[in-house]
Amino acid sequence: MVENSPSPLPERALYGFVLFLAAQFGFMLYLVWAYVPESWLFSLGLTYWPQKYWAVALPVYLLVTIGIAYVLLFGINMMSTAPLNSTHTITDNYAKNQQQKKYQEEAIPALRDIPISEVNRTFFLGDGSN
Amino acid sequence: MEEREDCIALQCRQYSASCREFSVRCQPVQLRSLSAATCSVWLAAYWLFVLTQNSMVLSAAIFITLIGLIVYLHFVKIDQESLLVIASLGIQMTSSYASGKENTTFIEMSRVKDVVINEAIYMQKVIYYLCILLRDPLDPQSVSEVVPLFQSSKPRLDCLVEVYRSCQEILEQRKTVSQTL
Repeated sequence: MVENSPSPLPERALYGFVLFLAAQFGFMLYLVWAYVPESWLFSLGLTYWPQKYWAVALPVYLLVTIGIAYVLLFGINMMSTAPLNSTHTITDNYAKNQQQKKYQEEAIPALRDIPISEVNRTFFLGDGSN
Repeated sequence: MEEREDCIALQCRQYSASCREFSVRCQPVQLRSLSAATCSVWLAAYWLFVLTQNSMVLSAAIFITLIGLIVYLHFVKIDQESLLVIASLGIQMTSSYASGKENTTFIEMSRVKDVVINEAIYMQKVIYYLCILLRDPLDPQSVSEVVPLFQSSKPRLDCLVEVYRSCQEILEQRKTVSQTL
């Protein structure tokens, strides 16, 4: 199995260049379609184009979507924040199911989620036997 | 006592060795803000009247001001929130509104696991708030519910630490009582 690495490879260089050429071609085609009058295009024989209305409408749609996305992301963040009265501010599934490791002398204690009562006692009452 | 633009005051009273009450009093409704709000609503209504020449706008504005004031005083503006802790009985929370209405909630001591200061994200800020942890009847070690206290006055950490220390002294008494029984 080949590892995933971000280093440059010949295939990636090829894909990149093809994408670059396609993007340039697409942009030139868009400019031609938007600016060249219809009569000239008809005289060349190219008759099956979308309405020129869309040359302005699509960029406007895109910009409005980007603007709304900022507001939407902000709103989604606010909605998924746990309210003040939920137990998710105190604990979660991993903390409830954690295993208690035995305390060994002169060893660094194992990493665990300390219950909030203990944390409060250590911070605010100033005593802590552990 | 805290110095902020809206001052709140904490008062602790000890009724007996196992009973204490903490009241947090918010700033009462100011005449300045009340008249500012009324004037702005009436000016907007008068401007609308000048635009539309419909006198219903003016009477609607007066109506809205009156109803809005009554609703605000009765349902929104909390004057004082108090917490009464009785070691053998339970914890009672009272909120009194500006119109005189009082809202009381009582939690019996067997349901209370602990009273802690928790920190959580609230409206693009992280705040400290005091809350009661309720015990799950099926599993005594886990927390089934969190009841936040002093929600409308939201005191800061120095005020909360005082209330917390006092509460912990009372709550320790219930442990000694249950151990002697």
